[in-house]
Amino acid sequence: MRIGLEVHVALPTKTKLFCGCSTEGDEPNTAICPTCLGFPGSKPMLNEDALSASLRVAKALHCQINEITYFLRKVYFYPDLPKSYQITQLEGAVGHDGYVDLGRKRIRIRRVQLEEDPAKIIREEEYSLLDFNRSGIPLDEIVTEPDIETEDDLREFVSELRSILYYAGVDIDKEMKVDLNISLGNERVEVKNVTGIKNLIDAERFEVKRQSNLIASGQMIAKETRSYNSEMLSTVSSREKESDEEYGFIYEPDLSAYPTLKDSIPDTVIASSAARQLSSKYGINEVTLKELVMFDRNALRLIQHGLRCSKAGTVINAIELLKRHNGIMISDKGFEKMLSYMDNGMLLNEDAIKALLEDRDIGAEKNAVSAEEIDNAIRDIVSSRQDLVNEYKSNSKAFNFIVGMVLKKYKVSPKYISERLAEFLKDKA
Amino acid sequence: MKAGIREFLAEERPEGYYEKLIRDLEEANEKLRMFSVINRELKSGMPFSVKDNICVKDVESTASSQMLSGYIPPFNATVVEKLDKNGFGFIGKTKMDEFGFGTLGVNCIEHPLNPFDERYVTGGSSAGSAAATAVLRHHVSIAESTGGSIACPSAFCGVVGFTPTYGLVSRYGLIDYANSLDKIGIMARSASDARYVFEMIKGSDKYDTTCVDHEVTTEGRRKLIIIDQLIKGVDERIASSFDKTMCKLGNLGYAIEHRSVPFIEKAIPAYYIVSMAEASTNLAKYTGFKYGLKVNDFSKNYNDFFTEARGNFGAEAKRRIVIGTFVRSSSVKSRYYEKALRIRRMLIDSLNSILKEGFIISPTMPIVTPKVDEAEALSPLEEYGMDSITVPPNFAGLPHVSFPSDYIGGMPVGTQLVTSHFNDMALFDFVGRWEEDFEYRFKYNVGAL
Repeated sequence: MRIGLEVHVALPTKTKLFCGCSTEGDEPNTAICPTCLGFPGSKPMLNEDALSASLRVAKALHCQINEITYFLRKVYFYPDLPKSYQITQLEGAVGHDGYVDLGRKRIRIRRVQLEEDPAKIIREEEYSLLDFNRSGIPLDEIVTEPDIETEDDLREFVSELRSILYYAGVDIDKEMKVDLNISLGNERVEVKNVTGIKNLIDAERFEVKRQSNLIASGQMIAKETRSYNSEMLSTVSSREKESDEEYGFIYEPDLSAYPTLKDSIPDTVIASSAARQLSSKYGINEVTLKELVMFDRNALRLIQHGLRCSKAGTVINAIELLKRHNGIMISDKGFEKMLSYMDNGMLLNEDAIKALLEDRDIGAEKNAVSAEEIDNAIRDIVSSRQDLVNEYKSNSKAFNFIVGMVLKKYKVSPKYISERLAEFLKDKA
Repeated sequence: MKAGIREFLAEERPEGYYEKLIRDLEEANEKLRMFSVINRELKSGMPFSVKDNICVKDVESTASSQMLSGYIPPFNATVVEKLDKNGFGFIGKTKMDEFGFGTLGVNCIEHPLNPFDERYVTGGSSAGSAAATAVLRHHVSIAESTGGSIACPSAFCGVVGFTPTYGLVSRYGLIDYANSLDKIGIMARSASDARYVFEMIKGSDKYDTTCVDHEVTTEGRRKLIIIDQLIKGVDERIASSFDKTMCKLGNLGYAIEHRSVPFIEKAIPAYYIVSMAEASTNLAKYTGFKYGLKVNDFSKNYNDFFTEARGNFGAEAKRRIVIGTFVRSSSVKSRYYEKALRIRRMLIDSLNSILKEGFIISPTMPIVTPKVDEAEALSPLEEYGMDSITVPPNFAGLPHVSFPSDYIGGMPVGTQLVTSHFNDMALFDFVGRWEEDFEYRFKYNVGAL
């Protein structure tokens, strides 16, 4: 099986690709102007921020970047396309011939191109509506070579790509639109406009099954375009002509050729390879590390910082603790303090973490609790409340009651208290 | 007769001047049909008209196409904006060949007629602009040229038609024909008026990426270069008139030299390929539901809906959509579109090297002004062929001017002068010198003080 993807992601800019309209238009058809409506007389002007963002993505995907980049007109008729041509790229794109490294293999990137999004079609039962707020939003189209060979490859690639995009500054919570080219036999089937990762996997599964069944029963697989129906969990033929599309590309004569200044494009951290390196250097579990850092640049920064001054286990525990408290926005100094408490066997309750996040040393000091103190508290209760100790085996409420008493006083992790209490009670059994 | 924009703006206009101006213009327009819109609200300023493919806010702007009937742009073209702010007053929109597709000015409904004699065409595509300039005494017209649309009608209507270096005047607000070739320019009754307006409208514009701030020079040339291939086969009457003009210029001290330019005869096919390829993409947006002509039957699927709407293009527009779509299709693109771009590059280089030495001079048009019925009988190919002299400078984006140099049987004849990129000002100096010895004639002087 061979799969190639065309992934479309919106670039993080305040304004559209070729006009000054906001990319955050809310009420339909309010963030619009003559240019993004394609009015006669209007002209495009390139948003340099979109170009920079796109170049950054191309570089993060290890693409070759030419000295200059330029645009083309791709002509086709569809109601959502205001000029009946899309300003896009092909040769002359921001990047070409890159790759995404999955560790065990590479997925080659054919091209990264900058282009404008068409309007949004809202389909009602009897009619369709158009929202031009989306018309002209800057998109990166990332085209892969057909190097994806299994469902695992697909999942891993998408996760890796999203992580790279996240680190390149793209808002990955926005809808990702994918065209899936998939062939089990000789002919390529294109499944267009799949949105979201779940749908992508479902579409891939359906196509694999459909094409396998056709091959098993000795039938031909037709070269065609299909679309994915997320309610039916199936793909259906779009009944388009089977010939290659004719878009009649010409150079976009309203725009210039733009220098890429390729030596000054900022580098993007590849989180998975950073995790791989840290894992082998410090002996931390790679999967755990990746989970912490793939979509969290602060976590990666803190881990890298923390490992220089503390034990690996403490650093990972600290990051996990911070994530549980939604507190990854901690200063380096606060984090160092946190690590030193933890290295000294201190327990950090919610108030202590809050104080650390706010760089309040006294608050942290006051609320950090030593393990010894907790043990003493548990020992006190266990020895003074024989009634509860007697009851705890038949009544889980008694156990929780003791945990609650300690928790109320120290506010440290109930899980930790439970573990310690169980340890104490073990001898009493 | 020399009183121009400066004098007009300096002088007090008599009470009721603009009312009378509009009344007289409307009367002339009944006969000559050069305006699609006349601004009855005009109350002040130096009157300027605007070719109908240039947007004026809140005024119907259709590029003389049925497809755009009812299109009222919500913005001004940059040129219009600049003139509005500098003491000029908008007097009306002038008719043109639909979208600029034509050499003779007859490709639109009720096309304009030549003010010198109504049996004759005005030339195109800036047909109404040239006629308006020949009719109005104190006025300039903002016209546009892709392959000769300023020079040709200027020659046929006996006015000065200036086309600047590509990229010196913002195209923002221009309804595109072929974006890499379209140039907004000026028609006036004197070189100094054209220069006055040019200095006002040139310069970069953040709304047009291809527009630049570039120093514009006034480097005179003492040599006039005649490219023999360009004047081969021109009408005999034009040839002898041109000889007469060259004699006069020789007497003014210019040296005259004959040259040939490799591949210049390929300029016409290459120009038509590039311009039609771009035009066919520009016309793709006219699908009948956002602006201009609207189709109201929404029960159809979108393909049928678009097909119905696009049936409203004129014949020449349809022809250019078909040819333009063909020459950029993937199987033949390298043989047509891409080859034509290479020819443009070669032509620019060879013309530039000649233009370092002198001006290139020629008759503007190879024919005398045709009558309307003669024009309408021409085949498209015969019509394209008439652009043989105006296309090379237009294709190469070179500044050029057509100025009246003779009258044959009462009809004006134009001479075309071409110079290097960004040496636009030299053209005004040259024509200004010409005007010292040659008086332009006009049949109409509407609005004379």
